[in-house]
Amino acid sequence: MNEQQKLLQRIRALNFAVIDAGLYLDTHPDCRQALAYFRKHQAALKAAKAEYTQKFGPLTLTGQTGDERWDWIDGPWPWEGKV
Amino acid sequence: MWAYEKKLEYPVKIKNPSAAMAKVIISQLGGPDGELGAALRYLSQRYAMPTDKAKGLLTDIGTEELAHMEIISAILYQLTRNLSIDEIKKSGFDTYFVDHTTGIYPQAASGMPFSAATLQSTGDPITDLSENLAAEQKARTTYDNILRLADDPDVRDPIRFLREREVVHFQRFGEALRDVTDRLDCKNYYAFNPSFDRK
Repeated sequence: MNEQQKLLQRIRALNFAVIDAGLYLDTHPDCRQALAYFRKHQAALKAAKAEYTQKFGPLTLTGQTGDERWDWIDGPWPWEGKV
Repeated sequence: MWAYEKKLEYPVKIKNPSAAMAKVIISQLGGPDGELGAALRYLSQRYAMPTDKAKGLLTDIGTEELAHMEIISAILYQLTRNLSIDEIKKSGFDTYFVDHTTGIYPQAASGMPFSAATLQSTGDPITDLSENLAAEQKARTTYDNILRLADDPDVRDPIRFLREREVVHFQRFGEALRDVTDRLDCKNYYAFNPSFDRK
């Protein structure tokens, strides 16, 4: 795996932890332990996404940062199996 | 509203195309227990949910189902890349190819186009949440059957992830149903529809 693939895989793993803990919290909103788990992974996810965006371009349209061109459209797109 | 994130929820990297596998896996895109139907079911039902827990859960699971639809589409896209006409004829994929080439079209493995007739939104939270428990099990069964048919580890890996999510969603829907019934008359849950009848 190259650096981009590694970083995106880390984002996917952290994002999964956040999604899964989020569903649990939907039905257990007062569980402090789950909330702490969510917070921890949420912070790591935020940092990993910021690093990815800075190095490899935006993950979301609103996260677009390039000043020279609209790099939101730049591939590879997720279904192509390259990242 | 929704915002797109330029990544799959779970990676799909398939080296070897297989029209025969695409022909069966397409059922989880547009079939009776597929991901498109799941997303549409939960995102339609959520408006009639009586509790914040159920509103949040249907929103979040419905959103995750959209990501699963994308994973299935990515599997189909990669399974049908660089197919030869010979493979298309031999695998029986020709009946799909004639209408769609290798484009992604939501249909069941049988060829039946996606239909909202495979799902319900009754406006009754007990009924809808019970349907969702069954829906997650039906999708799990379909994934089990796909795993019986698929040998390629590149295909099995994301299918196993999707199968596992059906089990987790089933668990969460069970909790939401229990929470809704806990707020009703325990002697007769069905005395009235908490989202319609005003007591």
